[in-house]
This record gives sequence, C-alpha cells and structure tokens, in this order.
Amino acid sequence: MTTGVVWRLLRQNMSVGQLAGYAVSNLVGLAIVLMALQFYCDVTEVWEREDSFMKRDFIVLSKKVGGLGSILGSKVDFSKEEIANLESQPWVKRVGVFTASDFNVSASVDMGGRGMSTALFLESVPDDFFDVKPGDWTYDPNRSEYVPIIISKDYLTLYNFGFASSRGLPQISEEMIGLLPIDLSLSGNGKQRWVKAHITGFSSRLNTIAVPTEFMTWANAEFGENNDANPSRLIVEVNSPGDPAISEYIKSHGYESAGDKVDNGKASYFLSVATSVVLAVGLVISLLSFVILLLSINLLLQRNKERLIELMQLGYSPSQVSRYYYATVGFINAFVLIGAIVALVIVASIWRGSLALLGVESVSMLPVICIGIAIMASITLINVYVISSTVRRNFFRS
Amino acid sequence: MISKIHLSKVRPYAFKGSEYDSRLESSHVWMSDLTFRKGCYYMVAAESGAGKSSLCSFLYGLRRDYDGSITIDGVEAGQMTIAQWCELRNGHLAYLPQEMHLFPELTVMENIRIKNRLTGYKSEDWIKDALSRLGVSDKADVVAGKLSVGQQQRVAIIRSLCQPFDFVLVDEPVSHLDERNNELVAAMISEEASKQGAGIIATSVGNDIKMEFNSIIEL
Repeated sequence: MTTGVVWRLLRQNMSVGQLAGYAVSNLVGLAIVLMALQFYCDVTEVWEREDSFMKRDFIVLSKKVGGLGSILGSKVDFSKEEIANLESQPWVKRVGVFTASDFNVSASVDMGGRGMSTALFLESVPDDFFDVKPGDWTYDPNRSEYVPIIISKDYLTLYNFGFASSRGLPQISEEMIGLLPIDLSLSGNGKQRWVKAHITGFSSRLNTIAVPTEFMTWANAEFGENNDANPSRLIVEVNSPGDPAISEYIKSHGYESAGDKVDNGKASYFLSVATSVVLAVGLVISLLSFVILLLSINLLLQRNKERLIELMQLGYSPSQVSRYYYATVGFINAFVLIGAIVALVIVASIWRGSLALLGVESVSMLPVICIGIAIMASITLINVYVISSTVRRNFFRS
Repeated sequence: MISKIHLSKVRPYAFKGSEYDSRLESSHVWMSDLTFRKGCYYMVAAESGAGKSSLCSFLYGLRRDYDGSITIDGVEAGQMTIAQWCELRNGHLAYLPQEMHLFPELTVMENIRIKNRLTGYKSEDWIKDALSRLGVSDKADVVAGKLSVGQQQRVAIIRSLCQPFDFVLVDEPVSHLDERNNELVAAMISEEASKQGAGIIATSVGNDIKMEFNSIIEL
C-alpha cells in the first residue's frame, strides 16, 4: 500500500503528454533505424553473394563493332599498349584477357541416340576471375580424361525458359547438363583430334564458353595458326563500380562494357547512399526524442524536488525513491523497443516479398534486433544514470 | 547505536562576518564545545533567527554548510555517506522538523504509514492509540492539507516516533499547541525516549515543551 502511496506522490507532475510524445517519436526513430539497418543487411547480402546479379566488381570490356568497320579490317582487339593503359587506371585492380581459340572446334552430343553437332568457340581467362571454380578445373593433355567447361548461366536460362518452354522440350538442370558427355573435335594447323568434355560449372560473370588456361595453351600451340593474336575481350576487376571515371574512360576509348554492370554499379552506389541517409534520419529522430525524454525527466524531478527531499528526510534512500522513475523509463523504453521490432518485422516482410521475387534470400533479423536492444539498453542506462545522479544531488540541501 | 553527538567550534556559514561576533560569543552552541549524550534531555533555547533549525539540519545531516566539526560517536558528520545517513535516519535519529513536512495530499494515516512501513517499528494499533491520545483519531482519514497547524503538528510528532532512535530532535514541537496538548505531546515523546533509553534534543523560542530537562542550553 505504501508503495502505492509513494508512487502517488512521485507521479504527480508527470506529464503523460510529454512521455507519450517521447515514446512515439522514439518509436518512429528506432523503427526507421532498425528498418534501414535491416534493409541494408538484406541488400548487402545480395551484393556479397558471389554469383549475385548485383555483384559489380568485374566488368567485361570489348570494342564496339560498328557498321562496316569490322569488314573493312578495323581492329576490334586490344593491343598491348591499350591493356597497359587500362591497367594504369586508378580504378582498376587487375585486368585479365580472354584468350580465344585459334583453331576450329565442333562439339557433338549424343542424346539418347539422337546426335547433335555444332561449331563452337572456346575462350579462357585466368582462373582468378571465375566466380565458380569446379574441383577439376585443370587440364593435362596426357592425363585428363575430359576437358572441363564452364558456360554462361545465361545460356542455360535461355534454353530452359526460351527454347525448351516454347518447343515443349524438357527443362534441364545444372546437374543433368554436367552428366552429358560432349565430344570435341579440335582441328587446325593440319591436325585433328577428338577429346571428351563435360560442362562442370555455370558462371554469372563470364558470358562465354570457358575452358582451363592449360587446355587453351596446349590446344592453341597444337592446332593454332596465329599464336600472336591479341585478345578481343578483357575482364577487369574494379575498386568501385559506381565510379563515374569508369564510364567516362569506356566512352572516351570507344569500348563497350558487357551488360549494364557499370550502371548497376551506380545504382548500388545510390542505394547505399540512400540507405545511409535514411539511417541518419532515423538516428536524428531517435536522438531528438532521447533529448525530449531527458528534458521531461529533468523537469519532472525538478517539479517533484520537494517531495523527493521530504521522502529522503523520512529515511527513504535515493535508490528507493528513484526506482519508481527507473520503472517508468524502463516500461516506456521496453514499449518503444517492442513496438520498433514489431514494425520492423511487418515492414521487412513487405520488402522481403519483393526481394524474394528477385531470388534474394533473406538474412536473419537477429543481429539488427540485437542492435535495437543495445540502443535501448544504452538509452535506458543513461536515463537511469541521470535520474540517480539528480536524486542523489538533492539528498543534502546544501 | 549512537551514544554521543559532539559539536566543536561549529559556525553556520550564514553567521560569517563581524556583525555576528557578539551573537556567537554569547552562544553555548556555536563556536563552543558541546556534547549531547544518549539518555539525557536537552533544551536548546533561543530567539528567533539564532539558528535552531540550522542546528537540527546539521545534526540530522540535511545540511553541511557549517565550519567546525560535528561528530557522531567520533565519526565526522560532514564525511558520512548517503547510505550511512539513511541508516541513521531509519534506526538511530528521529526528527520532527519545524515545518512538519507532512504530504498535504495524503491522509493522516498515509502520512504516518509512509514512515512506519520503512521501519516497520510501530503497530497499526499503536498508531491509532497515539492518534487518539493526541486527540486527532477522528482525522485519520482526512488529508493532511485540511488539518489545522496544531493538528498537523501532533500527526507529525506521531510519525517521527515511528522508528527506533537513540536521539530524537524535535524542532519547536509545541509551537502551535495549547497547554493540554503540550503536556500530552511531552508525555508521549518522553515515554518513547525513556523506553528506548534515548536522548531528546528539543528547541524552543519561548513556548517550551513541558518536560524535565537535564540541561537547558542557550543558543
């Protein structure tokens, strides 16, 4: 009963409006902070994934093929000087060259008695530039039973969702394609040889049919006729894909980048800027509401100063009178935290629905929720400290 | 347990300056050596403005704006921690402030219970009996703000006795009471003090509480 009486004394002058104002504004602020963080985590997850469509550390460069230029002999390959110039750019981490096959290749597949054969081209790039690397990614002409091949994931998508579905043919999984034995006929330089091959991987980064460098070196030496051919495509690892200097360089040299990866780079850059801005707005709102709470508490303690002093004069300790205010602050902050987490879960489920359509898996919300708990715990601790020190300061009148 | 409170050359900051010299010289408290012993009853008599309430505040640890030294069983009062003061106020030092400090929005019973629940010292029956002895039992459920000053004084006295103590400081305890109530209050305070073997330090500006004192000290 006495607890109720003390509480009745101390809650006088407590402005419900001010506390509700704090609770609502901090709820909004914290919810924005948590949502921005979670969104950032979800989207960053997309960036981080190796085969992600938003992965933008690599761009593939080629020269523009224009009008009659190529027919008239205009060069579309990169000279050593051009490569060196590219390598000297500050935004370039490293440059890899596509080595094209300098011989004739044809592939034949036996699909349940129905043979198919097609002329092919092969390319190789240094191993470091692959986003996938099968365990058997090497070749030794004397020992290897087959040539491992990595093809662009786009080819499989094109077949499964374009060709197969329009022709009523079965769709093929990556695993199934890997089982398919391929016979490659290599010819040139007056020689011909059959080798076995298997598709062992799919790349989202490289838009080509790639074989190990060891195979290409051997086959070009064996069947090639012009060993000094310059590469016509380059793969470049860049520091910051959104860097405007990249598009400027590409444009001024008349190059072309594969797909719209450079533009994607800009988009990702803007996305991170936008997320940071939202995060900052949330933090500012939280900070302001925190200041409101501190001011409200100070005002309340000032208004109830005489009562606090009189209770302590009766023998109540500062902690005994403060605990009513601790409980109030704790209750409000717990409400804010729970409200913000609920808001986060609801809003995240909306954007995650959209991201799921893009094939993006969601990451756990636990780290962000823990950050929310840490923020509110810190705010509560500061509140408790301010209340405790203000009450103790009033223990002695002078 | 407190057995003695000793004052040595105590001077309130407010009495700094030569214009207070004559007052300090005639005082037996300020700038003197004085010991209050447990079990003895002291009357501190003074004119208005001589610093009675300041003395009570210093002894009860409410204020520390003085020069000199006050020791409680040898421990310097000015150096005592908040926790030590809380312990003293709950079990060793009882205090009736001149302004009573009742909470006007709480009833008489609530005002008394708010102290008694802290110490758990007195029974509900004792409180009711005490209210009845001092003639305010009919006010038990009335908010303190609606009582006369004299009634408030009696309620505040009952509240201050709701704890064990070695000394009770009563600052002008009967300033608003008639002779009959003065005697009733005096009897109640000395009864409690003698039961606990405690000392009484009472202040007065003329309307003295009716009890036998071991020593009357001019402030």
